[in-house]
Amino acid sequence: MSAEGRWEGALEHGGEPAELAPEHEPPDSAAGRESAWVADHDTASRDSRPALGTRGGPGPWDAAEPEAPVALARDDFGDARWSFLYKARDTRYAVAEPAPGRLAAANRRMRGAPVPDIHGPIIHAPVWTWEIPLYFWLGGMASGSAFVALGCDAAGDHRSAAIARRVALGAVAPAPLLLIGDLGRPERFLNMMRIFKPRSPMNMGAWCLLAFSGSNALAVGADLAGRPKAARALGGLTSLLGGYLGSYTGVLLACTAVPVWSRSRLILGPAFVATATATGAAATRLVLVASGLPAGHPTGRALGTLETAAMLSELSLSRLGERRLGDAAEALQGGEAAVFFRAAKSLVALGLSLRLLARRTGRREHDIASLMYLVAGLAFRFAWIKAGRASATQHEAVAAMGRGRHTLTAEQERPRGARRSSKQRTPLRLHSGLGAWSEATRRASLAVERLLRS
Amino acid sequence: MSTSAAQTEIAIHRPGAERMGFFTDTTVCIGCKACEVACKQWNDLPADGSRSGKGISYDYTGDLSASSWRHVRFVELLEPSPQLRAEAEEALRAGAAGNLPAIPAAGAGVSAAVGSPDLVQMAEDGGAVDVADAVRKMGDWVFMSDVCKHCTNAGCLDACPTGALIRTEFETVVLQPDVCNGCGYCVPACPFGVVDRDPEDGRAGKCTLCYDRLQEGLEPACAKSCPTDSIQFGPYEELVDIASRRVATLHQRGIEDAYLYGAGDQPDEQLAGGLGAFFLLTEPPESYGLPAHADSPVQENVVPATLAALGAGLLASAGAVVAFVTAARRARRTPAGRAW
Repeated sequence: MSAEGRWEGALEHGGEPAELAPEHEPPDSAAGRESAWVADHDTASRDSRPALGTRGGPGPWDAAEPEAPVALARDDFGDARWSFLYKARDTRYAVAEPAPGRLAAANRRMRGAPVPDIHGPIIHAPVWTWEIPLYFWLGGMASGSAFVALGCDAAGDHRSAAIARRVALGAVAPAPLLLIGDLGRPERFLNMMRIFKPRSPMNMGAWCLLAFSGSNALAVGADLAGRPKAARALGGLTSLLGGYLGSYTGVLLACTAVPVWSRSRLILGPAFVATATATGAAATRLVLVASGLPAGHPTGRALGTLETAAMLSELSLSRLGERRLGDAAEALQGGEAAVFFRAAKSLVALGLSLRLLARRTGRREHDIASLMYLVAGLAFRFAWIKAGRASATQHEAVAAMGRGRHTLTAEQERPRGARRSSKQRTPLRLHSGLGAWSEATRRASLAVERLLRS
Repeated sequence: MSTSAAQTEIAIHRPGAERMGFFTDTTVCIGCKACEVACKQWNDLPADGSRSGKGISYDYTGDLSASSWRHVRFVELLEPSPQLRAEAEEALRAGAAGNLPAIPAAGAGVSAAVGSPDLVQMAEDGGAVDVADAVRKMGDWVFMSDVCKHCTNAGCLDACPTGALIRTEFETVVLQPDVCNGCGYCVPACPFGVVDRDPEDGRAGKCTLCYDRLQEGLEPACAKSCPTDSIQFGPYEELVDIASRRVATLHQRGIEDAYLYGAGDQPDEQLAGGLGAFFLLTEPPESYGLPAHADSPVQENVVPATLAALGAGLLASAGAVVAFVTAARRARRTPAGRAW
């Protein structure tokens, strides 16, 4: 049919539409429409695969033919210039010449204007699930046990030190599995080792976990092989690495836009290391007792002291941190996080009073106290993760942080940008050798993925 | 390269490439969502249903996500009907969390204008609607096409442990989908709530400023499709120039509240070192779900937090040594001390 003929003649009338079957009638009420809509859009049952390509990925970046010209493309973004309506000065879109300083003043005034109704969400909540707090707990336990091994060696109790090293190995062994399990693409875990990036706490943590596990495994191996000197040296190295393994998790959380974490940046690392020490000491104590440590042995006493001191510093650090939080404290004081925090605090209090009551008497009471500290440590880890999830959805706290204030209701306003970024970013350049390593790692993890998915 | 971000990340270099960006002018946005559709089509992103906004809002996208790289945010100041409120509360009690209409708490999100009409109620009542009156009373209804800001100090880029996020020759921030392993660290590290992890795909996803199109000299799909040129694409300096003249023009016309979000600031007041995609706004930033000030959380916090953490780690091991050594010393004075 010719282009002219296409529009000739009247449109055909197809007759009256058929009656709707009852099940196809739209629901009467808004609620009915709402639930029908929701059912229709349920991501669990709906096929939401893209028609082409892979979900979540952009189109391929390589041209099919590398040098081939693209239709309609003009060099130097001639394409963009062509569609720039306001570029030609033939409209009144942007005719005025800006007065110097006027724009910056307008920006400052509006960004400092009274806080309006907040139309959130401002930031996204973290996506991490139960694996992460559990890893924090186990990794902390491992680094705490490494501290204990160092202390035992220093005090001359090498038998306990060897056991502590084994506890650390047992605690750190499931850690990689948990971390890999939490990845969106677990098959690509190797990519964590693709680069060495001091600016990223997660990258540093991955390397530290590798180094810690390696040196700890070697230390245990040296113990088994009857090389006490090597074991002690490796144990010292392990505890040094443990100082970061037990605390970097706090740094990792602090380096986010989540108010309750970011505002606790000086508290989180120390608090996490305290929890690590307490749980590590408690786990080692229980294992030592089970393997026949005599009652009243100085190592057992020192472990008890260490546990209690660490738990008390954890509590006081948390308390100290809460006062700096302002609006963000709500995340700790309400919801699931508060339940976990309360549980942790009561367990610590219970354990502590048990210790004091049974000071000279029963050993079982001390064991129960250690167990309570262990559980309290786990509850602390969960509490901090849950608090972060809650905090990201509390728009007032997020907005207050953007305003450089502790709380939106406070009269006094601190100048914007009061917390400056460091600006001293060291260049991260990939030298040819490192570049080859990155590429090899990327290919290896893609190969693993293909293997596992086929 | 005029506004050169420090070449600190793993960057692709190409001689002659300059910083490219978006200037999104909300005063000419009509909320048509052509940019969202164009983005989804070009980047082959799936539909992702609605997660918020329904019931009160006409904004069915709700939020930027791993599969929504452009989002036309509707800043609506309409009051929900009492019936809708009641139904939402009923649904809340029934435990339909997650798919609820977002009903603001009493007072919140409601225009100061008295007697704003309830269009939903009016439609449900089947009553006659005086359209002119309704529009007059609607007060402010603002649209803003939100997108990744392509920050100079990008939190996601700093946080990424795999090097999947890179800085390109156009000084944009791009996620390489063949490297990302879905660790999720970039999600809370973004102070603007842009990047997210796709629950089905497992990887993070965000705007690439159509890196593939840029390499071929094409402008990004959203800017191409924008019928009012609310989204403008071009060399960064040119965009800042046209944007500041636009603000001056609006000020001349009496729209005193017009300002730029992410460009034209004093150096110490810049948002994340300056935003590659910046906006012309007329309301305070929080109205659009934007923070009044933000910077890369990693750069802000990593040094003090690491120092505190390492100090505490050393202190803990020292404390352990002290505890064991003193206990052993004290035990030597009593008969209890002995090897086992």
